[in-house]
Amino acid sequence: MIHWLAYACLAVVLWGVCGLFMKLGTNRVSARSMVIWVTVGFVALLPVLWKMTTLKGLGVTVVLIGLTSGLVNGLGNWAVFACLEKGAKASVAIPLTALYPLFTVILATAFLKERPTPMQWFGIALAIAGGAMLSYEPATAPTPTEEPTHCVQ
Amino acid sequence: MSNDRRQVPVWLWYALLCIFWWGLWGFLSKVAGNSASPLQLQILFTLGMLPVALGMLVQMRWNLDRNVGGASYGTLSGIATGIGSLGYYAALREQNASVVTPVTGLFPLLTVILAFIVLRERLNRVQMGGMVLALASIVVLSM
Repeated sequence: MIHWLAYACLAVVLWGVCGLFMKLGTNRVSARSMVIWVTVGFVALLPVLWKMTTLKGLGVTVVLIGLTSGLVNGLGNWAVFACLEKGAKASVAIPLTALYPLFTVILATAFLKERPTPMQWFGIALAIAGGAMLSYEPATAPTPTEEPTHCVQ
Repeated sequence: MSNDRRQVPVWLWYALLCIFWWGLWGFLSKVAGNSASPLQLQILFTLGMLPVALGMLVQMRWNLDRNVGGASYGTLSGIATGIGSLGYYAALREQNASVVTPVTGLFPLLTVILAFIVLRERLNRVQMGGMVLALASIVVLSM
């Protein structure tokens, strides 16, 4: 069995590459257009995924939860843009929103009764702080619109 | 005036809303992942986010930038994110969401490194500190 950390690192690597593509892309199109093109990429994957699996056998509840997970992720992306449009500095807003795993930890410990060990708590704290610090990009020059370089996780 | 100063700025509410939505996404992924496979989850995720993308397109009055380079990087981003999400969902099947989500939240680590190599962007001290914490957290959580 592959260790969970190997799978998690796959996500880190590919989402990290995505961040680079977002940086390159937003040099050419607006950040909002970028979100739409990213969604096109998601949709482009659909035929491949459909070939490999089917939704048969899934209960209605699971289907609804899965659909809702996509919906709330999209709403999170929308909130980032609304945040920046309401005057937030990207250097403050992006590291702040990078704290989202903290809320997942709160929900998982409260509702799924997850109980991390003291060592895991230490690692979780380091990871959340590290993720926020890595997202910090000080403004170098005034730009017409500050644009997030990562979203749509 | 003093009252205005004490008010929470509107942007902060949106930032907190974003933390709420994305945090909820991690939680729901864990819940659904108990019954659905990573492939099935990614299909449902994509279908679920389509209404929001459509809403944003309407909000933009269908003024989508069609620069070929930008569109290509955007589409590649979506494909990379989608495949990366499969790794996230697979990790969630074997480990708690409270552990996996903070680790995968470290993805800016690679963006920062790639931006340094490819775009020759300079690393600031905060990011360097973040890199140290990120690597330390991976070591601690792998024990």
